[in-house]
Amino acid sequence: MIAKPRHQQRHSAAFGLGGVAHYAAPVAESAPEGVEQRDEAVAKARFDEYVLPEVDVMYRVAMSLTRNSADADAEDLVQDTLLRAFRAIDRFDGRYPRAWLLTILRNAQINRVRRKRPELLRDPDATMDRVADTSDGGRTAEELVVDMGFDAEVESAFLDLSDKLREVVQLVDIEGLSYQETADKIGVPVGTVMSRLHRARKKIKKRLQAAGMGPREAST
Amino acid sequence: MRLKRQWWRPKTAEVNCHEVGRVLQVYLDGELADQDAGLVAAHLDDCRLCGLESGAYERVKAALAQPMPEGADPEAIERLRLFGQGLAGD
Repeated sequence: MIAKPRHQQRHSAAFGLGGVAHYAAPVAESAPEGVEQRDEAVAKARFDEYVLPEVDVMYRVAMSLTRNSADADAEDLVQDTLLRAFRAIDRFDGRYPRAWLLTILRNAQINRVRRKRPELLRDPDATMDRVADTSDGGRTAEELVVDMGFDAEVESAFLDLSDKLREVVQLVDIEGLSYQETADKIGVPVGTVMSRLHRARKKIKKRLQAAGMGPREAST
Repeated sequence: MRLKRQWWRPKTAEVNCHEVGRVLQVYLDGELADQDAGLVAAHLDDCRLCGLESGAYERVKAALAQPMPEGADPEAIERLRLFGQGLAGD
């Protein structure tokens, strides 16, 4: 199974599979000869259609994902993701390409955290402060990346908003303008700013819940 | 902005979940009048569900407010696009 229908994604999230693996991204680890057997023209067309338009989103998400790890390189991570996506493209069913790609991206990042910090597997506390600025101990590499992934998921949900909704979130939440300043700047009533903000944040929250990253406070 | 009380509730009563839900984001944005913000804060301290809802929005706001990390390179996107096109053999 590659990308599950939406209702099944929620189902997975509800059973606590978390935000990492419930798309079951097919990351091809096969040898090059596997690549040669497929229809290269079709693979290229699919890669052009599904993957290349998402490069800037992938880079911005990779920036968020690697924000807290000093030696991580977002560009490198996206290259790695592009390679994995290219190898796996003929097994992708064409639904939710962004979600598919971001799952590959997250899995690639998890592998990196494991590879670069094998000590994480033995003692999550020892490197906690270098990997994430959280204080609760005893968590796995996956959980650390999921936490970093929260910002990434917000980022990608933000980028997915319509222009009108993204504009008010940009001005209020990112640039810190007041409702009145925002209203003046874009020439709409304050009430419109408020309702757009409300809708935008609901959408972001819904996305997080669908990705199994709802209010985590509930479980702690 | 002011809190709108439900018409049948006495003005002196504590605010309820419905009333808080309507102004929660305004409260978190710091745009609610001081005297109303106090009422909302008191409710959030006592009510688990509203507290969770508020926490979720606070986390989203905090994540959005983080600046793009240093080292974000606009040219990197172009390089990555070229890399991707190279993979696809264009």
